[in-house]
Amino acid sequence: MLHIKCPHCGMRSQNEFSYGGDATVKRPELNKEVSDQDWDNFVYNRKSLRGKHKELWQHISGCRQWIKVERDTATHEIFKTVKASEDI
Amino acid sequence: MTQNYRLDNIGLINRDKKISFKFNGVTYFGYEGDTLASALLANGVHLIGRSFKYHRPRGFFGAGVDEPYAIVQLYRNNETEPNVKATEQELFEGLEATSVNCWPSVNFDIGAINNLLKIFLPAGFYYKTFMWPKSFWYKVYEPFIRKAAGLGVASIEHDKERYEHKYEYCDLLIAGSGPSGLASAYAAAKNGARVILAEDKPRFGGTLLTSEVNIGNQTGKEWAENIISELKEMPNVIVKNRSQVFGYYDHNMLVMSEKLSDHLPKTKKYNPKQRLWYIRAKEVLISSGSIERPLVFGNNDTPGVMLSSAAKEYLKVYGVLVGKKPLIFTNNDSGYETAIEFKKNGVDPIILDTRKEPKSEIIDEAKKLDIEIKFSYVVVAAKGYKKVKSAEVAKISDDKNELGTLENINCDCICVSGFWTPTIHLASQSGNKTTFNKDIDAFVPGLSKQNETTLGAANGTFTLEETLKSSFETGYELSKKITNNDNKTSSPTVMEKKSTTHDKFWCVPLPKGKTYKRFLDFQNDVAVSDVEIALKEGYRSIEHVKRYTTLGMATDQGKTSNLNGLQLVSNIENKIVPEVGHTTFRPPYTPVTIGAIVGREVGKHSKPTRKSPMHTWHEKNNAVFVDAGVWLRPRYYKIGEETLFEGSKREAKNVRTNVGVCDVTTLGKIDIKGPDAAELLNRVYTNAWLKLPVGKARYGVMLREDGIVMDDGTTTRISENHYHMTTTTAQAANVLSHLEYYLQLVWPELNVNVVSTTEQWAGAAIAGPKSRDLLQKLFPNIDASNEGLPFMGYLEADLFGVHARIFRISFSGELAYEVNVESDNGNFMWEKIMEVGQEFKIQPYGTEALSTLRIEMGHIAGSELDGRTIPYDNSLEGLVSKKKDFIGKRSLEREAFIAEDRQKVVGVVPIDKKTSIPEGSHLVKDAMAPTPNPKLGYISASCWSVEYDNPFSLAILKDGKNMIGQKLFAMSPLKNKTIPVEIVSSHYVDPKGERVRS
Amino acid sequence: MHDDNALFSEFGMDLWRKMSQDLNYNVMFSPRGIINLAHSDAQMNVFARRGNSMRLNGIDAVLLNREEVKEIIPMADFSDNVRFPIFGGLMQPSAGTARHDAVAWGYARQADSMGVDIIQNCEVTGFDVVGGKIQGVRTSRGDIKVKKIGLCVAGSTNVLAEKLNMTVPIETHLLQACVSEPVKPVLDKVVTFGAGHFYISQSDKGEMVMGGDLDGYNSYAQRGNLPTLQHVLTEGIAMMPFLSKLKMLRTWGGIMDMSMDGSPIIDKTHIEGLYLNCGWCYGGFKATPASGWTFAHTIAQDRVHKLNAGYSLNRFHTGHLLDEKGLGTKTWIS
Repeated sequence: MLHIKCPHCGMRSQNEFSYGGDATVKRPELNKEVSDQDWDNFVYNRKSLRGKHKELWQHISGCRQWIKVERDTATHEIFKTVKASEDI
Repeated sequence: MTQNYRLDNIGLINRDKKISFKFNGVTYFGYEGDTLASALLANGVHLIGRSFKYHRPRGFFGAGVDEPYAIVQLYRNNETEPNVKATEQELFEGLEATSVNCWPSVNFDIGAINNLLKIFLPAGFYYKTFMWPKSFWYKVYEPFIRKAAGLGVASIEHDKERYEHKYEYCDLLIAGSGPSGLASAYAAAKNGARVILAEDKPRFGGTLLTSEVNIGNQTGKEWAENIISELKEMPNVIVKNRSQVFGYYDHNMLVMSEKLSDHLPKTKKYNPKQRLWYIRAKEVLISSGSIERPLVFGNNDTPGVMLSSAAKEYLKVYGVLVGKKPLIFTNNDSGYETAIEFKKNGVDPIILDTRKEPKSEIIDEAKKLDIEIKFSYVVVAAKGYKKVKSAEVAKISDDKNELGTLENINCDCICVSGFWTPTIHLASQSGNKTTFNKDIDAFVPGLSKQNETTLGAANGTFTLEETLKSSFETGYELSKKITNNDNKTSSPTVMEKKSTTHDKFWCVPLPKGKTYKRFLDFQNDVAVSDVEIALKEGYRSIEHVKRYTTLGMATDQGKTSNLNGLQLVSNIENKIVPEVGHTTFRPPYTPVTIGAIVGREVGKHSKPTRKSPMHTWHEKNNAVFVDAGVWLRPRYYKIGEETLFEGSKREAKNVRTNVGVCDVTTLGKIDIKGPDAAELLNRVYTNAWLKLPVGKARYGVMLREDGIVMDDGTTTRISENHYHMTTTTAQAANVLSHLEYYLQLVWPELNVNVVSTTEQWAGAAIAGPKSRDLLQKLFPNIDASNEGLPFMGYLEADLFGVHARIFRISFSGELAYEVNVESDNGNFMWEKIMEVGQEFKIQPYGTEALSTLRIEMGHIAGSELDGRTIPYDNSLEGLVSKKKDFIGKRSLEREAFIAEDRQKVVGVVPIDKKTSIPEGSHLVKDAMAPTPNPKLGYISASCWSVEYDNPFSLAILKDGKNMIGQKLFAMSPLKNKTIPVEIVSSHYVDPKGERVRS
Repeated sequence: MHDDNALFSEFGMDLWRKMSQDLNYNVMFSPRGIINLAHSDAQMNVFARRGNSMRLNGIDAVLLNREEVKEIIPMADFSDNVRFPIFGGLMQPSAGTARHDAVAWGYARQADSMGVDIIQNCEVTGFDVVGGKIQGVRTSRGDIKVKKIGLCVAGSTNVLAEKLNMTVPIETHLLQACVSEPVKPVLDKVVTFGAGHFYISQSDKGEMVMGGDLDGYNSYAQRGNLPTLQHVLTEGIAMMPFLSKLKMLRTWGGIMDMSMDGSPIIDKTHIEGLYLNCGWCYGGFKATPASGWTFAHTIAQDRVHKLNAGYSLNRFHTGHLLDEKGLGTKTWIS
């Protein structure tokens, strides 16, 4: 079972977390024009590659903070985890 | 019955405790410490079952997890369990077992007719036939095949046993307590590491229990016993027997299955039957040993043919002779150890060695004991049907291709040894890419992907001296890395007999003209000829061979067949074994009881149950409950013998006439605080929020980014920077995570905090024309008039000494208020409302009445908000702000979402004003049209309108806005109903919303 | 529930019924029927909606009450000690199972005998696209010049899309399944649990085949963790308590193409000569014959057939979604 280092709480098992998908997806700014293609890309299109993946997890049974995790989707090895406010 | 094959003076069983047991209805005796297998063998019973496909007689092959044949149906404490391995089941008083997969008995099995038909039933035969006539596969062949398949019988009774789970952390987890496990555990523990040592069998020591070795000045067995005693005393060590580590998962999490009670006639009170351990280990040591490889020859599945190491184990551990005239057939020195043990216990074995002139200390000892040895000899076929009676043998040429003249040797068992296959399953499960070791002709672990190390025989190290040395070393090194201590334990001296190399030969060729079946997979009846057929038909990758022939897919998971199968494929394909590769190892190592995997979440505990603070009151007042997610909510409060329909109609009518009270605690509540709180609401809801005054509530709709309505609710401005948001029961958790996501990741510049308060507040909705009067009486110090507390207003007040929040909001469409108090005061609030409400003819109402009220008012709820509808569909387009941006707005511009004839919620009334329209019905134009009949919409919610006293439904209808007044048909073919209907506005009752504003 | 999905499925069912004969290979198609259990009146209504939709499309469906379900699957839990009692269920009597290996091998043998070159152990490493048109494909065993490519690699769609500089509305997830040891016949239907995602059937060998939720995070590992299986089997025992005494024999994990609305994509693309067949989530096997048929049509005629017209790549842009589950873009929720 995945062992994830919550930057706030320390090493915790995956069943304390909830997954949140691709962390590289950037929501377009409010009140700015967005092309159809850019909006569709944001809502629907994903790279979802084999290999290193930057993704979001929320520590729902702990501090309830969203964190960013870099994990290999083929081996499940986790390379690093950072807080929501940091870059990964 | 006497135990004719039991010796008196050897073995680790307890002869002071005699145990009686039954097999196939016959009573036998054994001893405490026996397995069912050893006890049956002691009684001379060799016929245990019939094979899966051909129903050939089957006996015992091994002494542990490697057993492919001895599957029985077990009866224990008035329950039955299928597919128990007799070699693993410890004997207990009163044990009863029967053979599986044979009828009428194991001795005379009608299924054996398959054996006669076997030339028509090679591997994969079912793919090539049973297709004609077309319907016969399903109607005739398949039922017959299904009846013949399966091993044991699953009882459909509920399992009475308990299973528990446990979580542990340690520095080192060591799987296996043979010499490598004991040595490494000892060295690591002495150096301060926290160690868990797991042993699958009831006895610790592994091969040390059966081999003739000396460690220091003790025998191997004594040394093992002393190490275990010491380990058990150490506070940093957990030692577990009857515990198997069966799965290696991500990030060094391993799972172990502990059998606490399978060896007892009854599980002790308050004990579980089995316990599953989830162990997170910093380092893992795999000392799982190796399994003997079978030699393959004609009819090698005959009862009496077994692994030589098993014969040795039955002798040394259980004091049982597997035969009195044993033939040992071996390609290495291990077979000699078994022969020597037989000889020492008064039985004369004959050894057939495939090798020409091997020389070693072990062979010398055998010669010194006058054991007859034939070199360059092979067993060509076993003779005897239900039991080995003799062996057809022959000399074999040096190139192993030519057989000499066939000879006959009388024997009552054939003990085979084809060398050793390291047990690499756990290493492979961890991601380790195993490599092929040419010297031992088997796979061993290669590069580790997680923190694991394999030691001893599991790593291809077959000498005790080397094993102990490397294990002490590794235990020390790993523990030092973790504890930083430096207490090194030195490896003791070892006295063992040296052996020489084995013969890389395992499959005896067929003599000319003979078609004996040479079995590879013993449980699934897969023979050499089957693999040859598969390869000939083009199934050449090992994955295809496995699936086509079912080699390795039986309940023993190929432990004695995978490697031989692999070797055969590579020989025929002219490849080397590593090129052919092996199929992936996956957990579990041996089959694990499903109950143990599930643990305690069974029956009513399979999911949690959430109850409102007023639950007991509801129960006492005859509430009939309904599940709302994991919450229990009253559906209606049953008076006398009334049905759901009658009760909910009564309650709804009372709300429209007098006043009712409904428990709304389960709705999601989120407390929002911060200077940017209004800005947050403005961004998540579709309507405007920046100008909501303090003390006012507003209905809001929130979308997903794809434009679909996610949830609706009412949010109230409690004070300047403090809001109270409500959500639907179902979406409460999602909405909270949704807000946290945007606040933490997308708009961290917003200064807002959110927290769930669903369980902190108990809520009661007071609804009906007399609700104001009731409210005034409950809160005499407030001004409850329409001016004092207007529609969507908010007040805080004192409820007879308890702090309360009052929201004037309405789900039912009547004049209504919601009162919230802290949960601990929920009951107090409810009872006060009921007490004060008596004069106004108050009745409690449940979710069914609540549904009726909101449906006839046209208020949308979960059945319309099904995760596929947009605001327009729900007639909420008026709430979609055109001026500001918000989550999901951009998606609303999609072509399908702005189509002229887009679906919309409408009301549906049956033309006869009598027939209820079943929910799930669909609306069509022409009821008589042939299928596929174009569907225009579907009924989302139905009720009996208490206002108009006729059925009324809500529906999502294509081109809804232009369909008012149209006549359609509501069809439910499932219920055989076709109802002519008229489409009306969804706001059936009080379309102007006058009542809530009164 | 969506008409596109229903009509497509039913077209496929007709092909299933003839498959063994068409391929001269016994795929062991067994129309034993499927029951979706419902655990509340509300759920019965949801199933009624689906069942009525099927019936209006000419597909067989029956709504069963609790007693009727009990007669068919008496081994399910009808006692009082349940968290979510069985209220009834939706049954499609003609739904069935088939032997997956046989389907693959049967199709392969037949295609091969019709002249198709099947090249195994051949990994696509790149594509040649010139001026918006397919020119060829590069593989680990050499390059092939070709004008039309059908991309049918569910589980690796994103990986290959990347090589075409495309992103697709798909995320790649992990689904586990397991079998028990074989036992004598006890269950002859496929049954799904309504208060969760558990499904079960009994194979011809006697093994109980079980599965349910996704593990819940992007993965290509083809192996999962035990807590997910524990969750799945918990639902299994909640539905059929007798499973508790059986032993789990084999587990495995696969790679799922989870599309953003839960329905597949069979369509042309913006690249001329490139055809896409993907997004099957965990419902691909039963669609095999219909998927193959419509994809073949799409490639051969360079236009979609009426049956797969709804499975367009563009539907996400236009909003003509075929959302069977109502969960939106959180593909990791089952």
